[in-house]
Amino acid sequence: MAVIGAFCVSVNRELCINARMPGKCATCAEVCPYDVYSLDVYTGEMHIQNFNACVGCRICVEFCPANAIRINPAESEYISRYPWTFGAIEEIHHKAQTGEYLLRGFGTQTPTPNFDMITVVPSQIASPAPQDKYREECDMEVIIGEGTCERPIHLKLPFVWPAMSFGALSKEAKMALAVGAAMTGIATNTGEGGLIPDETWLSRGYTDKEFTNKQWEPGGYLVVQWSTGRWGVSVDYVNSGDGIEVKIGQGAKPGMGGHLLGAKVTEEIAEVRGIPAGSDALSPCRYYDVQSLEDMKHMVEFLRDVTNYQLPIFFKLGPSRPYADVAACIEVGADAISIDGLVGGTGCSPDLVTQGVGIPTIACIPPAVQALKDYGVHHKVKLIALGGIRNGLDAFKAFAMGADAVGFGSAAEIAMGCRVCYACHKGNCPYGITSQKPEMRARLDPFKAGEQLSNFLKATAEEIKILTMLSGHNRTIDLSTEDLRAMDLNTAALTGLKLAGYDRPLPMWENGNQPVHSHG
Amino acid sequence: METIDAVNKDFKAVNKTLKETLNGQQVVVKNAGHLHGLASGLKLGEVTIQGDVGDYLGVLNDGAIIKVTENAGKYMADNMTSGVVTIDGNADYGAGQYCYGGSIIIYGDAGDFTATMNKGATILVAGDVGDEVGTYMLNGDLIILGNAGENFSNYLIRGNVYIGGNWKSLGHNTRVEPLTSGDLAKLSAFFEKHEIEANLTNFKKIVAASEKPFY
Repeated sequence: MAVIGAFCVSVNRELCINARMPGKCATCAEVCPYDVYSLDVYTGEMHIQNFNACVGCRICVEFCPANAIRINPAESEYISRYPWTFGAIEEIHHKAQTGEYLLRGFGTQTPTPNFDMITVVPSQIASPAPQDKYREECDMEVIIGEGTCERPIHLKLPFVWPAMSFGALSKEAKMALAVGAAMTGIATNTGEGGLIPDETWLSRGYTDKEFTNKQWEPGGYLVVQWSTGRWGVSVDYVNSGDGIEVKIGQGAKPGMGGHLLGAKVTEEIAEVRGIPAGSDALSPCRYYDVQSLEDMKHMVEFLRDVTNYQLPIFFKLGPSRPYADVAACIEVGADAISIDGLVGGTGCSPDLVTQGVGIPTIACIPPAVQALKDYGVHHKVKLIALGGIRNGLDAFKAFAMGADAVGFGSAAEIAMGCRVCYACHKGNCPYGITSQKPEMRARLDPFKAGEQLSNFLKATAEEIKILTMLSGHNRTIDLSTEDLRAMDLNTAALTGLKLAGYDRPLPMWENGNQPVHSHG
Repeated sequence: METIDAVNKDFKAVNKTLKETLNGQQVVVKNAGHLHGLASGLKLGEVTIQGDVGDYLGVLNDGAIIKVTENAGKYMADNMTSGVVTIDGNADYGAGQYCYGGSIIIYGDAGDFTATMNKGATILVAGDVGDEVGTYMLNGDLIILGNAGENFSNYLIRGNVYIGGNWKSLGHNTRVEPLTSGDLAKLSAFFEKHEIEANLTNFKKIVAASEKPFY
């Protein structure tokens, strides 16, 4: 639900074609999924009839042939009537009117501690000299499952696409992710909503199902997700991937299963998932077939067995108790562990869970790394950081804190064209990314979007290369917390990084990088 | 007919032999009580397990016929897509969860959470079942000849639950309906095929009250 009056819609009537020649243009009314504009059928005049409904997706701005529309936030949430922000007020109205709690797509809107208050420490004279980005090489390859399975994954760049299901995303968006992965040699992920056949060959760089015409080099990988809802899962499904991801939780709704509202369950999705079209697909919050860590161990064993010990096993965790959770994943035999922070995105989640449950990504990484070190498997079992990672700077900081790879979920959607309107759950995505409506999906060309994704990754990789080399390294694996400083007390306390200026960790972190860990 | 004695063998070795030898013929496995994940992901052949078997029997089964002459552990026939799994004795917690197709016949009793999230399999329990049986079933048939425990068929979405006995309590989103002639024909054919004697007059059918019970 949009906050009433959150956006001002203004049309410059000197530029607007309809204002000058009524009936000549109705583009904005045609593209707006929320009926903000209305066309008077008798006079042909366009009116803004319902600007309260505007969610700020800016599709009208994108399509307006005269460039006459401007959408601006009405006023800042936090200088208005805090703590009674417009959002808080609207939420109460929504509950009072419908008796239902608020659902939200995309992710959290409230400010949370993130990578911004961490700075990169460059090399000068006292440390190893900087490397020359233009004339020297930087090794960024990440190998997952080396020594534990027969077909390890060689990520050419230290990135993955996190799990985003077919259902939450459109078929075109899933195809674009596969193409983007193939162009850059990274791994795409089916998500929990089953497999679109196209993903199988597109992700490996082929344009046909016979795997004869290889269009994109180097060709990527496909990770199939094994989740609590087990939508569309069979022995052929697990064998169609290059890796299997066991989903335990996700950043936007840790402790809850996937939500796919009926509005997005089309015939095609219903068939893949094996449920009635139009019904809500709510994944269970836990595995009904796992009651203990011992069971989970058996699950990993049989997953390896049915895939003939070929594929690496990934685990995906929500942000809860990273040390204990990562330790458990190592115990059960994971080859890679993704940990998703509070800022992690979602197709749909109860608003309060998105906003207020879980710990930030920067606070997840240090305990996770500590667990890997305590088990002696740091950089052997790969750590993949997810949740609110936007660019090479964020990714570099995650690597220096100890992660081996990062995932870009929300950033991938934005690279495909998303304008972040927080309405993914409504199924009305005007850019065709999270919508299942044919007219909206038609606006997303999977191959063009795939190229945008590939461009985004290549540019981000270059950014990481710059930062790695200026801090005196030529492999991302060599980065360490010494390459970072926290710029405020809060971040230093959350991460154990040295505080800039003080140049030591805060006293509570001084006895080694060792917080008190508990199983809760 | 090949016989594998699983004494002192791990499931990896037994499953490897099963996959290598199964080309449509029959294989007998003995002493498999300690094996979890036995006969996983098979596509053809017939496996008979003499005696008990551990957890996750026939997980991801996609066409094989699996018979157990005594009891099965937890989560038997988990995530099966096709094939037949028959248990002559009892099945522990969570039999036939997440199945997309095929049939499961348990001649004894079955534990809690049997047929949870069944998405299309036909699951028959000739004895009694525990609590929370048929939770969030999305399709398929669940047939119980005996009695059921608490929260029976909780949040049923689609599919049919048939029960000959009684339940302690019925879950949310359920409606009790009389059997149609189609149901009776389907059940008698199924019982005949699997040589089960049952009196169909007492049977009740439970269906979902709504396909959208959450939002």
